[in-house]
Parts: sequence; structure tokens; C-alpha cells
Amino acid sequence: MKRLLKYLEGKKLLAVLMLLVATGNAAAQTGGWLLVRDAIDKGIAAGNERRLTIVVAIYLGVAAGGWILQATLIRGLAGIGQGIVLGLRRDLFDHLTGLSLRYFSQQKAGWIIARLTSDVDAVSDVLSQGMPTLVSNVILLPAAIVALLIADWRLGLVVFAILPPALLLTRWFQRVSHVALVEQRNRIASVTAQIAESVAGMAIVQAYNRERAFQRQFDELNDANREQSTLVQKIFSVFFPSIEFLGVVATVATLYVGERLFSHHTLTIGTLITAIYLLQLVFQPLQELSDVYGQLQSGAAAMVKIATILDEEPEIRDRVRATPLARVEGDLDLDSVVFAYGAEPVLHGVSFHVPAGGCLALVGESGGGKSTLARLVGRFYDPDEGSVRVDGTDLRDVALRSYRRQLGVVLQDPFLFSGTIASNIRFAKPDATDEEVAEAARAVGVDRVAARLSGGLDHEVREGGAGLSAGERQLISIARALLADPRILVLDEATSNIDRPTEVLIERALDRLLRGRTSIIIAHRLSTVRRADEILVVENGRIVQRGDERELLRQDGPFRRLAHTLEGADDDLAEAG
Amino acid sequence: MPEYANPVDPPDLGLLPTFRRLLRLWRGQWRLGVFGLSCSFGYTLISTAIPLLIQRAIDGAILHHRHSLWPYLGAIAGLAALRFVINFNRRFATARIGIRIEARMRELLYEAYLRYPRAFFDRHATGQVLSRATNDLYPIRYFIGWGLVQGMQSLMMIVAAAIVLVLVDARLALYTAIAMPPITVLALRFARRVAPISRNVQERKGDVTEAADEAVVGIEMVQAFGREDDVRERFGDKAGAVRDTVLRQAGVEARHLPGLYYLPSLSIAAVVFFGGRQVIGGHLTIGQFVLFETLLLQLVWPLEALGWITNLAQRALASAGRSFAWLDGIEPLPEPATPVHLPRGPLGVRFEAVRFAYGGETDVLRDLELEVEPGEIVAVCGPTGSGKTSLLNLLPRFYDPTGGRVLVGGVDTRDVPIAELRSAVALVTQRPVLFSVPLRENLTAGREDADWDEVLAACDAAGVDAFAPGLPDGYETLIGERGVNLSGGQRQRVALARALVTGARVIVLDDPLSAVDTLTERRLVARLRPALAGRTALVATQRLSTVELADRAVVLIDGRIVESGTPAELLRAGGHFATLFGDEVIAA
Repeated sequence: MKRLLKYLEGKKLLAVLMLLVATGNAAAQTGGWLLVRDAIDKGIAAGNERRLTIVVAIYLGVAAGGWILQATLIRGLAGIGQGIVLGLRRDLFDHLTGLSLRYFSQQKAGWIIARLTSDVDAVSDVLSQGMPTLVSNVILLPAAIVALLIADWRLGLVVFAILPPALLLTRWFQRVSHVALVEQRNRIASVTAQIAESVAGMAIVQAYNRERAFQRQFDELNDANREQSTLVQKIFSVFFPSIEFLGVVATVATLYVGERLFSHHTLTIGTLITAIYLLQLVFQPLQELSDVYGQLQSGAAAMVKIATILDEEPEIRDRVRATPLARVEGDLDLDSVVFAYGAEPVLHGVSFHVPAGGCLALVGESGGGKSTLARLVGRFYDPDEGSVRVDGTDLRDVALRSYRRQLGVVLQDPFLFSGTIASNIRFAKPDATDEEVAEAARAVGVDRVAARLSGGLDHEVREGGAGLSAGERQLISIARALLADPRILVLDEATSNIDRPTEVLIERALDRLLRGRTSIIIAHRLSTVRRADEILVVENGRIVQRGDERELLRQDGPFRRLAHTLEGADDDLAEAG
Repeated sequence: MPEYANPVDPPDLGLLPTFRRLLRLWRGQWRLGVFGLSCSFGYTLISTAIPLLIQRAIDGAILHHRHSLWPYLGAIAGLAALRFVINFNRRFATARIGIRIEARMRELLYEAYLRYPRAFFDRHATGQVLSRATNDLYPIRYFIGWGLVQGMQSLMMIVAAAIVLVLVDARLALYTAIAMPPITVLALRFARRVAPISRNVQERKGDVTEAADEAVVGIEMVQAFGREDDVRERFGDKAGAVRDTVLRQAGVEARHLPGLYYLPSLSIAAVVFFGGRQVIGGHLTIGQFVLFETLLLQLVWPLEALGWITNLAQRALASAGRSFAWLDGIEPLPEPATPVHLPRGPLGVRFEAVRFAYGGETDVLRDLELEVEPGEIVAVCGPTGSGKTSLLNLLPRFYDPTGGRVLVGGVDTRDVPIAELRSAVALVTQRPVLFSVPLRENLTAGREDADWDEVLAACDAAGVDAFAPGLPDGYETLIGERGVNLSGGQRQRVALARALVTGARVIVLDDPLSAVDTLTERRLVARLRPALAGRTALVATQRLSTVELADRAVVLIDGRIVESGTPAELLRAGGHFATLFGDEVIAA
């Protein structure tokens, strides 16, 4: 809650104003009935038509005022609420994009996205739908009681006889319905998950004749959901008629007390009638607040989950005295780097040096530490011991952004953003002209891929790049890196299946991209290994062999064994071996 | 059965047929329906009687002591208690109708999904298919459950109140009804205006989800190029759009809701003003004056409800129309009229002049001829888009050919009972599908009674043994969103093992090792050959190392087989196959 108040900054005056408006609105609603009393007693009972006309006119004026106040309240509260939601959503997102890759590798993407969407939505529902109801009714309830006491304090006491059972009932309803609704949400979520999974995997369900088993599972979940919905409805069906019943009991009590007072001539008939209606105004907030209660609960639960992300400390942060990095030459130095994701180190003191413009290939079995090394070079993590230096400067001493702007990364299975192929290439350099984009595309052969697609470079990429092969996506991501014109390049070669024509394109693209830049390549292809100035064989977090291809092949070591597994290594190595 | 242009995308059902179909479902719940309506009737009677009793109490017992107050109070309290019972039953009965019909519709849809052909799932996005059986059902549930009965009750209430008011004072009734038409109009207008905006809000929220999804999944790219500010700005825009639409929604609410709240004041003012003058003139009692006010206030909700119900009815009929269109208009894959059973022993596969096209598009396969001997392993090669996947999908009858025949064991696949065909043909799809159940159950999905030793043998052949024991609970580890996420390569290996476990005589592998790293692939190819012994297999692949699994390779170009032979022969021949794979070798 405290977190949310932060977003009220600059809107406090508006918030106070809205409280006043809500009070005015409650006064209009209850005051209207006091006017009715006046009309009955002073106008009707006294036979004074003039008075009657005046009071009715005032009454209509008050109602019109209430109308305007309530409209203002709805708009004002929505403005405040949505301002808070927007601030929260942006802060959450900004904070999230600043967290390190470690966080994203530990949390499932679906979990994180749910915080940004359904949880913020739950908070939003409370603030935009719940808040007007909450604010108006929280004020209306005491206002109606006060009006009752003003009308006649003895009749007002009736309310204190009826209110305790009503409050108890409401409390019971809130507790029971909350539990039941949470369970209902869980059950419908299971039903949805079952349908989603079946639809997504229908090919396999049908191919393996699993229809009947899936139908059985579904029927169970669907029945469970139906039973729970029935229970929820039962609770609702008890509560609202009960409140209605208590409302009539209150009327009966008022009539009883009223009759005694009236016969002693200490009560006017107008007051009695007004009291009957004012009592209904006491019960109405109880019903409406019960409706909002569930929303409040889920909003609070959502906020707790959102807070877990906001409390996450960004791991990579600029130091206080971090300096922006000027254009680097690209001389790269790793000095006895030790790194652990958890307790067990995955790198045990790795050192290497790549001169500016050099090309270093990392080879080794998966899980050996190659990707971790590449990520340390990109400063996605900081080393636990040792250092990573560029042109002699420790990366921890530079402003992160100024370094990353000089870094290019090509991932193994690159993610494409929704938009066109051109906008994906432009991603790294948003101010690039169309010519520059086209030039980069041409230089690495993306234009040839685009040619077979409708719209060419303006072809709309579907979510995540579906419809394009892994090789084609990597080609686009190479064009992206080329356009960014980085000084240092980190590249993880695609292992997955690439047809030969695309592979030839990628090889040529790499020739173009690597020229004049320092590069670290996680290599899976013989052609890449050959291109490197130096090859490091990484195993179990250590460099076990280093040298160029010829040297390494001569030695009877791990590289010779590994070389057979590289793409395109079939026969020529057999010859060499 | 009417003829549809596209059998997997029939047009929505019209209003009347939809309504008839809904009524048919409703009729199944007629007992509850009649009960609910009777309760509504009772509720209306009591709700009219209570204000009448209050009027009598005020006039007869309070203002003039003609009667004792006690009988009135007792009667009011008694009726209120009775109304509580009736109201509970009415609410509960009508809610149950809705819940049951929702569950029934969902069941019908799910049952249908399980039997729909692949073409249906090609045509409709997963999200759409899903929401048809979830969110789209809610308007139906509320309309059928609450809406129909509440609508009837609203009408009863209006009629009952009108009768009483007219009987008491017809002219005053007319004056005081002044606020009722505007309330109805306002409620209708509000329901009509707010629906498209709340849909709009949902769409904007969808945009936010998409932007969040992209940034989270693509976070490494974002951070690598230091583009955090761009995605933040993009996300901020989407989030801002949500705020703007919600505020527009608030605007609509601000224009309508206070009106609904304060318009009844107009009637109260009319009662006080005109009624008051009648009282002064001695034509109306104070009690009748109160009766007027109470009944008028009681009419507000039924009138508002009518607005909601018409809106609900539109949405319910629209989504029910879509659902019924699917249920009535889409044919599941037809079973053979006179089923032929597959022969015993290894099964050969034969494609005879097979043509195939996806729903009206150009042919993907053109007069394709291919014969695979029983027990033979054939690799199907070809560039992206040459028709490899389409060819393989014909074997388990995901699709039927548009021309020619597909024979398994010499029998046309269309003549074999579908379940029998599919248990003889095991398939590994390009993108492996695993279910959110323990690994063990994923492995035995194709044959639940499989011997555990056989499962382990299959895991050994498919390379699952390399990682499964290392999972948190070994083979009992839960897979999927709520459990462990396996890597693409691991998923492929599980899918492969699952196919081997079935003991199917024909195995169809669509690029089964594309996400497996090269070293593992080589190990697997060596182990898979013995595991496939005695079975017929078709393997689509783009890697030479996987081709080595096969006895023979064929090359598919533009929907035809253009080359066939052992990999070594084909490489020497220097044709398409050599172009696809040869460079690496020739370069040496």
C-alpha cells in the first residue's frame, strides 16, 4: 500500500478534493431524505403548499448537485487510480529490464509476465472499479447513520440493534466467499490449462489415440469447476436475500418504535417515513462493500507478488564513479576469472587475451562454460573473482550502457521482435536510415531471404520469428549487429538445423561482420574454427587446450576428439586424422 | 446438412437458430427453470404485498389507531422470512441452470476439439479455440442462468407495481412514472456503450501483454544492445493506452451511472409534490404516499436490469452462434464405412500418385510416388518448404490426400479404423509436444501398460537416459510450466523415446534431432538404428548426420521425389542431394 501512495505524488490535492466530493455526494444522498421529511411535516402535514413546492425544488437541486458530484467522483478517482497503475506498471517494467540475466534464467518467463499483466490488472481493478464503490460507500454508511441520528436519535438507535447482526453476516460472507472464490479461480484455471494444453498438443493427442484419456481428465476438472461454482452461488444466494431480510426487519423495528413515539407525540410522521428510507441507505453500502471485498483481497495478493520483483536488487549496477567508455579499440583481457551461478563455480580461474580485431573461438561440450564466458564479456554478469578488461579498463568501472553500445551480440536462436524484418535490423540503431538498413541487409544476404517473402524487408515477422528458419533468423540478427557497428562482437553459432544455402549465406555474412572487430565466437562449425586466430577448448570451467586449428589437430588432445563433432567435419577430418 | 465453402470455418449461426439451439439446452433444465420462474412469481407477489402492508400499518395503526400494529408487523416479518426462502431458491436455481449449461457447452466443445481434423487447428489460433470454451461461455451462462429469469421477473414486477399504483391513484401513477422511461433508456444506452469500450480495454491490455512478453523473452538482445530505453518507451506507450481507454470507460460511466442513481429522485420529487398536494387535498393518505415511494424505488433495479439483460442477450447469442456453428458445421475425420484391418508383421508404406494441398491453396505434393519396404528406413530430404512435413503428416491421417492413395501394409489409410492406424504409426513432430505430467507418463503416453524395462531401453536409444536421472525427481519429475522446463533438445529426445515405446510398426520422424547438439546427435544416430530394427521408418531431415540413420534417401523438390538411392550413391551422382549436403564434403 505504501508503495502505491508514492504514485500519489503531485496528486494529493486532487485526492483530498475527491474525498470532499465523496462526502458531498453522501450528504446529497442522505440530505435528500431529510428534505423529504421537511416536505412531509412542514408542507403536507401542515397543509402548506408553498413550503412543499420550495422544498421539492431544493430537493431537485440537491439531487442535481449529487449527480454532478458523483460524475466528478467517478472521473476523478479513475484519473487518480489509473495514474497510480500507469506509474506502477512502468516502474515495474523499468526495474525488470534492469535486472540481470541471472534473474531471467531463474524465473520462468510466464511468471514474470503474469506480474506485469494480470497482477497489475488486479490492482487496476481495485483502483478503477473498486475505489469509487469503496470510497462512496465507506463515507455513505456513517453519513446515513448520522442522518438517522439527526432525524431522531431514538429511531437512530434502531440501527444499532440491526447493524451488529448485519455486520456479522457480512463478515461471514466475506470470509466464506473469499475462500470459495479463490478455489473457484483455481479450478477454472485448471480447466483452462487442460484445454490449452490439449489444443496446443492436439497432434500428439490424436496421433497416440489419447482422446479418451484427455476427455476423462477434462470431465473431472469440468465437474470440479461446476461443483465449486455451485457452492459459490449458494453462498451468494444466502447472503444477498439475508441482507434484504434484515432490511425489512429494520423497517419493522422502525415502525414499532416509531408507533410508540408517534403516539406519545414526540415524533412526526415525516421523521418516521424518512427513517425507513435512511435505514435502507445503511444496508446498501454493506452489500456493495461485500462485492468489492473480493477485489480488494486479490488486489492485495497481487501487490505482494509485484513487490517481490520490485524488491529484487539489480545485480549489475554502475558504480558511483563509473565513467562512460569512449570508443574502444577492442583489446580484451580476462584475468583469472572465477564465476558461480550458485554455490558451485562454473569457471575456475580462466584467463585469455584477445588483441583488438582478433577472433577467438570457444569450443567444447555443452555445459563446459563457453556461454558463461561469452556473457562475462558482454557484462551480463560480473566475475566473482578476477576481472574482465577492455583496453585495459575493468568493465566494472565503466558505465554499462556506454560499453554495451559498442557491443554486438548474435545469439544461437535469435529472438525477433514483432514488426518488420527491417525494424528488427534497425533495433540496435533506431535512427538508422532506410538506406543504411537496406545496405546492412544486402551486405549479409538478408535481402535474398526477404526476396522470397511477401513485402521483402517490410515483411511482418510473426511473434518470436515463427515462419522463419533458425538460420534465417540468425542472418537477420547478424545484419542487426552489422548495422550497430560494434567494436566487440559476441556470437553463439546456431547448432540447429540450417539448410545448406542459408549456411553458405551465414558464412559469407560472418566474413563481412567480423572484419575489423574483436570477436568471441562459440563455435559449432569447422569453417568458423578455421577462421579464428585462436581456439580455446573449454571443459568443466577450465581452458584445457589452446592454439590454432593446425596446432591443435597435431596434438593428441581433446580438440581432435571434439573436431569430429563439429558441423561439416565429416570426411575431411577423417583424412586429416 | 448445408454446404459450406470451408468445412473447418463455417459461418456463425443466425440469431433464430442460435436461440432455438440454446432453448434446446435450456429445456434439459426445465424443472429448475419452472421452479425458478415460480419463485420469481412468488417473490414479485411478496415484494408488492410488503409495501401494501406497510401502507396499511401507517394509515390504520399509526396515524389512526383503528387496528393494533402487531398483526401488521408480524405479517410483514413473516412475509419477509418467506421471501428470504423464496429468493434464495430463485437465485440458486437460476444460477445452477447457468452453471450447468456452461459446463455442458464446454464439454461439447472439448469433445468436438478432440475429434476435429488438423485443418481446423491450422485455421484457428489456439487462443481463439481456447476462449471459445472458456471466456466466451460466460455471457451464455449469465444470460441463460440469470438473464432469462431476471427479465421475466422484471416484467412481472413492473406489471404488479403498475396495477397497484393505478388502482390507488391512476393520475398520480402517471406523473410519478416520469423517471422510469429515462432510466430505461439510460440503462440501455449505458449497456450498449460500455461493451465496446470494455472490449477495447481488453485489447489494449492484450497489447501490454504482448509488449511485456517480447521484452522478457528477448531481454538478452535488449540488454546486449543497450536498448532498454526503447523497450521501456514502447511498453510505456502501451501502458498509457490502457490508461487512456480505462479513462474513456470511466467517462462513459460518469455520464450514465450517476443518472441511474439520481433519476429516481425525480419520481420521489413527483410523489412528494403531486402526492403531497393530493394528501393536503385529502385525496390520498400518508400511507398511500409511502406506498408510492416504496414501489417506485423498487422498480429502479428491474428497469436497470432490463438494460443489462438486452446487452447480455446480444453478447450471449453472438458467442453461442459462433460455438454452435463449430459444433454443427465441422465434421470430424470420417471413419471408414467398411473397415479393413492391417495385416500382421512389418508394414510397408506406399504413396500412389499422391496429391495434396492445404484448403484450396496450390498443390504441395504433386503425383508423388514412393514405396518404402517393410523394415526399411528412408530419409526424406529437401529444402525448406519442399513438402517433407506434409508428406509425413499423411501417414497418421492428419490430412487425407486430395488425390491418389496412401497405403500402409497394402491398405488404404482411409479404410483402416483411425485408432488402429494411429497405434500402428508413431509420430515425432518437428516441434515436440510434451504434456504437464511426470516424465514417466510422457514416455508412456502412447502405451500406458508398457513394461518399464522397455521404456528404459527406449530412453537409452533416444538419449533420455543421459539427463533424466539428473532431474530433481528423476523419471517422476513433473514437466512443463509448473514443473521443469526441458531444453529443446531434451524435449525432442523424450518425444523420440515416447514414439519408440509405443512399439508402433511404422515410425515417422519429422526432423527429430534438429535441436540436439551435434555431438549428442552422432551418439544417438548410432543407438537409434538397432532400436528401429524391424520397423519401417520415414525420417525427414536437413542434416547429413541424421541421413546416415537411413538405408535409403529420397530427395523431395516441389512436391515430387526427384532422387532416390543410398546416401553415398546420391553424393557421387552430384544431383540435388549433393547440392543439399555435398558442399561440406566436396570442400575437403
